[in-house]
Amino acid sequence: MKSSGLRINNAELWGGAIWFAVSLFVLDQGQKLGLGSVNAPGMGFMMFWIGIVMAALSLGVAVQAIRSEGPSVRALWAETRWVKTLIVIVTFGLYGFAFTSLGFLLSTIPLMLVLLRAIDPVRWTIAIPLAFGAPILIWWILKTLLQIQLPNGVFEIG
Amino acid sequence: MKRTALALLSAAIFAAIAVPASAQNFPTKPINLIVPWPAGGSTDIAMRAIAEAASKHLGQPVIVDNRAGGSGTVGPAQMAATAKPDGYTIAQIPITIFRLPLMQKTTWDADKDFTYIAHLTGYTFGVTVRADSEFKTWADVVKFAKANPGKVTYATPGAGTSLHIGMEQIAARDGIKVTQVPFKGGAETNAAVLGGHTMLQVESSGWKALVDSGQLRLLMIWTANPSPNYPNVPTLRQLGYPFVFDSPFGIAGPKGMDPKIVATIHDAFKKAVDDPQVQATLAKYDMVVNYKNTADYVKFVKEVTATESKVVEMLGLKKKD
Amino acid sequence: MDLLGQVANGFAVALTPINLLYCFIGVFIGTLVGVLPGIGPISAMSLLLPVTLSGTPESGIIMMAGIYYGSMYGGSTTSILVNIPGEATSVVTCLDGHQMAKQGRAGPALGIAAFGSFIAGTVAVVGLMVIAPFLAGFAVAFGPAEMFSLMILGLVIVTFLTQGSMLKSLLMASAGVVLGLIGLDSITAQPRLTFDRIELYDGIGLVPVVMGLFGVAEVLSNIEQGVKRTITSTKISNLLPNKEDWQRSAGPIGRGTVLGFFLGIIPGGGAVIAAFASYALEKRISKTPERFGKGAIEGVAGPEAANNSAAGGAFIPLLTLGIPPNVVMALLLGAFVIHNIQPGPLLMVQRPDLFWGVITSMYIGNVMLLVLNLPLIGMWVQLLRLPYNILFPMILLFTVIGVFASSNNVFDLYVMLAFGLIGYLTRKLGYEAAPLVLAFVLGAIMENKLRTALIISAGDLTTFFKKPISAVCLTIAAIMLLMPLIPQLRRKREAVALEDGNN
Repeated sequence: MKSSGLRINNAELWGGAIWFAVSLFVLDQGQKLGLGSVNAPGMGFMMFWIGIVMAALSLGVAVQAIRSEGPSVRALWAETRWVKTLIVIVTFGLYGFAFTSLGFLLSTIPLMLVLLRAIDPVRWTIAIPLAFGAPILIWWILKTLLQIQLPNGVFEIG
Repeated sequence: MKRTALALLSAAIFAAIAVPASAQNFPTKPINLIVPWPAGGSTDIAMRAIAEAASKHLGQPVIVDNRAGGSGTVGPAQMAATAKPDGYTIAQIPITIFRLPLMQKTTWDADKDFTYIAHLTGYTFGVTVRADSEFKTWADVVKFAKANPGKVTYATPGAGTSLHIGMEQIAARDGIKVTQVPFKGGAETNAAVLGGHTMLQVESSGWKALVDSGQLRLLMIWTANPSPNYPNVPTLRQLGYPFVFDSPFGIAGPKGMDPKIVATIHDAFKKAVDDPQVQATLAKYDMVVNYKNTADYVKFVKEVTATESKVVEMLGLKKKD
Repeated sequence: MDLLGQVANGFAVALTPINLLYCFIGVFIGTLVGVLPGIGPISAMSLLLPVTLSGTPESGIIMMAGIYYGSMYGGSTTSILVNIPGEATSVVTCLDGHQMAKQGRAGPALGIAAFGSFIAGTVAVVGLMVIAPFLAGFAVAFGPAEMFSLMILGLVIVTFLTQGSMLKSLLMASAGVVLGLIGLDSITAQPRLTFDRIELYDGIGLVPVVMGLFGVAEVLSNIEQGVKRTITSTKISNLLPNKEDWQRSAGPIGRGTVLGFFLGIIPGGGAVIAAFASYALEKRISKTPERFGKGAIEGVAGPEAANNSAAGGAFIPLLTLGIPPNVVMALLLGAFVIHNIQPGPLLMVQRPDLFWGVITSMYIGNVMLLVLNLPLIGMWVQLLRLPYNILFPMILLFTVIGVFASSNNVFDLYVMLAFGLIGYLTRKLGYEAAPLVLAFVLGAIMENKLRTALIISAGDLTTFFKKPISAVCLTIAAIMLLMPLIPQLRRKREAVALEDGNN
């Protein structure tokens, strides 16, 4: 499993590279916001210097990745149920979009159904009452007792 | 589930005490009042007293939300950008809202981005030093500053506040150079001067408790007349400066509020500043009610912007564009 | 014995039936809002502030104190059970508390959190009574330069002692600072890194960041690992800490209490740093540092004690100088003001009944909390018996509600999802989330202090070394940063990291 030297699918190296890109962005933003002078530091002063620190650190990570071994990108997801994770992420992302347009209840009940059935399926007799019951109960508590208005969507349900 | 039953029960208790019955259409839920200064400073204390009185008349709690920063502009600027004009989010409007746009690029337009509701009160500003300071009078400060240009540091609640502008006007007249250190508000400036991090504190009367207990010394105040609480402390005029600085303030909401809602809030705050208990609290901090109704407040905003423009230009702080 | 007499007076006030009732309501609501992450103690207290004014000031303040303590404790409950910290101060509790829960030891974790908080709270009250007047100067001794250096030290301590590579921890901390700077600048009120999104003018909210990095990321990792890692499979052992747990926790609680008390005095960020610093300290002096991050009870006991005694220490600048170090204290001040009582150094002389009423109510609040929460531990633990495939959708629903209720803004939902993804990916590559959170909380304050310190010193960078407190902080920080470079010490640290890699 272990190998050293420059390998292109070394996950650690990619990590360092991404951080380096982030640090360049921060540095650039700091520069644009204005550094000011030492006796009156400007808005970008801190950001600029943090950017420099981050750049140095990310280069450090990259150097370490080249010198010592790091797992390959593939190895990180080997023997995992990454498809299930992906399902959750995508569902959750879609849920975010549906949240305001469909409203809390119409988006949350399907979300719960998907989560309960698609990952490690729960019996329908439990999944359905739970998927309907929990959101409705929470919606009721928030709306009537705590007076927090959840979005009710285009169909005005909720 | 047992847990949800518990949650329900406690939520019910919570709601029963938190939400008094109200038959009015507005407000039906608590109102957020943004105070753009840290908790514990004089503005915060005054606004809390006013908010409490106003909530009695509104039938809903008025919740003070401290969002300090940017010389008291961060809170209102955030409100102007993000809040709905439904009356449930309003803010204290310090004078920096009109002044900062003259000095630099800002995210708001004081003329267009707010619905002005009512003008409430003004401050008593004063210059304080730590009790063991070598400065016994204001003249000592001037003398020291003449010998050591730029060495005198003074803490203000933010750049471009009336404290900053006022101090620079005083310094310009005396031909001295002093260095401003902008903090986020009174609680922080108190700590700065007590800890010896700055030599002076220039702030509204949040220093009162510390002056009364003898930990700070008040060198001068900036009102027109001597303060009844501190009759022996000279005013700027008594020291020979032709200035009075007080920086009055009011409240406003985001642009586009329903006039009916504006009127409801206005009436409640009007009653609040008329409340003798509120006036007693204000008097403790040497604040005097300076009420203006909605229409007069809007007019006042225009006037203040015009005069501020001249001052800022005179001090060379005007925005370059 | 004037002091004892006054304390007794305070208790006499706090122990009347009506005040006990207020206390119970306060603690109960506090526990509830602590468990619901979106509704913090501050909003609950502000909502209830006007209500409390109908009664005596003492009743109101006792209830307020109850809400505050209850919410602190409620925050640690969710940290331990589902890895969702309710407050920045309970982020550290996640690290070992949730691991304990995974091993079926949620009961002892919750128990030690309650007892640790109680003991620390008690000691802090005593400390407050005895040495408060002498410590007034300590609070203001921290000017901008000292605050900046202290925060740097706090961040370095955390990066030094979290799992894995120090480079990675430092990167996470730097990223946290940058995230903390998003929003309107605190000095000029101009937008930074907001990309013209008005939602970002307020800065990124702490709640969605923390819930994403901890709650959502945890769910994603667990799903990926499959059910084999769920809590249900492990037997739930005893509900309360056993003798060994107590032996391990006694030291951490004692040290956490002292550390928390002194750091709590410093306005701004004191309590948060205290919790992190206590964790770091315990790991540093532990004979078995490799157990940390994998369910060491010391890692729960120390920080929980620290954040509770920090709340006691926070009263010192308020009562002696009238400078409230956090919003909760300011809310109590608000109550005083409305009753025409002037907060500040003269409070103790002018209204001793109120002063001691407040202090003893803190103590009563702690007792109540213990009484209320010990029976609840069993119930919370039962919750973990739910199979993970039922529990995780509930956790996600819970985070959605928490995030939405705290801001009423869908944007924060995306922020949470984004940070869930970031947390999941960085975890894969061995980056710890805790330094990012601490840096995120401190970022804007740190920047403000750096800038003010430089203005005061007229641009003289040596100011950070000329001031003794600041110099000490920076020296310790520098030593910690350089330590990994010295081969012998590095080996010791890597021994810890390697253990982790072998999982």
